[in-house]
Amino acid sequence: MTAATASRGVRPSRPRRSLMGPIALLVFLAITWWAASDEFGIDFDVPRLLTNLTRGASILAEFLPPAWDFLPRTFGPMIQTIQMAVIAAAIGCGTALPVAFLASRVSTPNRFVFLVDRGVLSVVRALPDILYALVFVAALGVGPLPGILALILFNIAVVAKLLSETVDGVDPGPIEAARAAGSGKAQTVRWAIFPQVLPNYVAYSLYAFELNIRASAVIGIVGAGGIGNLINAERRFFNYDNLTVILIEIFVLVFVVEMISIFLRRRLV
Amino acid sequence: MIEFEQASVTYPGGVQALKNLTLQIPAGQMMVIVGLSGAGKSTLIRAVNGLVPLTDGDVTVDGVSVRHARPKQLREIRSRIGMIFQTFNLVRRTTVLNNVLMGRLHDAGTLRSMLAMYKHEDVEIAMQALERVGIVEKAYVRASNLSGGQQQRVGIARALAQQPKIILADEPVASLDPPTSHVVMRDLQRINRELKMTTIINLHFLDLAKVYGERIIGMRNGELVYDGTGAQADEHVFRDIYGRSLTADDMLGAPAPAG
Repeated sequence: MTAATASRGVRPSRPRRSLMGPIALLVFLAITWWAASDEFGIDFDVPRLLTNLTRGASILAEFLPPAWDFLPRTFGPMIQTIQMAVIAAAIGCGTALPVAFLASRVSTPNRFVFLVDRGVLSVVRALPDILYALVFVAALGVGPLPGILALILFNIAVVAKLLSETVDGVDPGPIEAARAAGSGKAQTVRWAIFPQVLPNYVAYSLYAFELNIRASAVIGIVGAGGIGNLINAERRFFNYDNLTVILIEIFVLVFVVEMISIFLRRRLV
Repeated sequence: MIEFEQASVTYPGGVQALKNLTLQIPAGQMMVIVGLSGAGKSTLIRAVNGLVPLTDGDVTVDGVSVRHARPKQLREIRSRIGMIFQTFNLVRRTTVLNNVLMGRLHDAGTLRSMLAMYKHEDVEIAMQALERVGIVEKAYVRASNLSGGQQQRVGIARALAQQPKIILADEPVASLDPPTSHVVMRDLQRINRELKMTTIINLHFLDLAKVYGERIIGMRNGELVYDGTGAQADEHVFRDIYGRSLTADDMLGAPAPAG
């Protein structure tokens, strides 16, 4: 047996199994236990959760039936929410386009610009939209304007990140052709890269618009305009049956926007 | 006139793709480079327009050093050199005309080209380039809807739109079938003769090299191992260049069509 295999090269012995996998799993379990324990963590107790679940039933019952006569009063704030989402998406996604090209190794003019742009994007991305809304409401007062500003920042962060990663992966062939033809950096981006990523850019912008509709419900709660303002008011007066109407409305709106965006994206490819 | 003076290229990994090459290519010549893959053919071609920078020696185009050119000067040199690629390097999602107009970018001005507001003359030059390769009826078709042979003609039109003095072609027919290969090679030959453009072509099919190469140079391991006419290059010469006996894979096989 050993003689027969000798002439066809040597089979390697099986490498020792790495312990990294089991160790990582143990560490993960330990951290989870730490977070849930009553000594160090938040005292997450599943049996108690189950036995107390029924206590909320009486409050939940107040959500039903939906108070449909409240519906007309929601139209104004709802339209404002859509308007905020549109304006923020237009400005945010428009700004994200150049920002994304500066943040990709493929299209950036130099290393300094690349690092600064990447750095700024990471900082912007670090805070969630509701915190930006808090800051802008504090600075500018309540109303849709601080909400729009918060959404713009959020859109730049999301679209620029996704788009710069797409630019990283474009076909380098046309870029080489443009350089060989004596084209400048900006011209190369415009004619060799931009057409390649245009469908992705439109898809990301539609996605950002969807996120804006959702997010503007939340940021309104801290006073940044739109349907969130109304949610906050009704919640404070315990008008839960009115809240149900708003929740159903947001659900329908998000669903419709998503359908439209899926339809548009499909036509693009 | 293109002149290599003891030109060398060593890639960051330590591979020496070009070793001390000295070579002169007079204006108007149609020169074919043959050699195995990895012999340094692509590097030689890309050294002419500075896409691959030299690590030693120099290349001059009409007396101007490519290696020591400032960025703006380098763009100016490149604008006078059209380039054709094995995989065409077209932007597949946009129109044929937009691809050919890339050959006018060097002259278009940044703002105008950003807004796609090309001058009337530039569009006219692009259309004429498409007419020369017989594909002008596809001007407003998406590049991805064209066959391989048609795409390569768009690639040639893009190079012609630069109104260059030199054409570089890196394996221009390696992605095409044999009859289409001859069509494209004859386009290049006609352009060389009618427009008097210096033409440098990498080929790995030896029969094509013999038919179309006014001059043939052989490369092996980054060095020049043959320099002569196509007529002189027989099987012995090619065996020397390749360092092995020839096989059917080294030939395209299809004879050039009559005419």
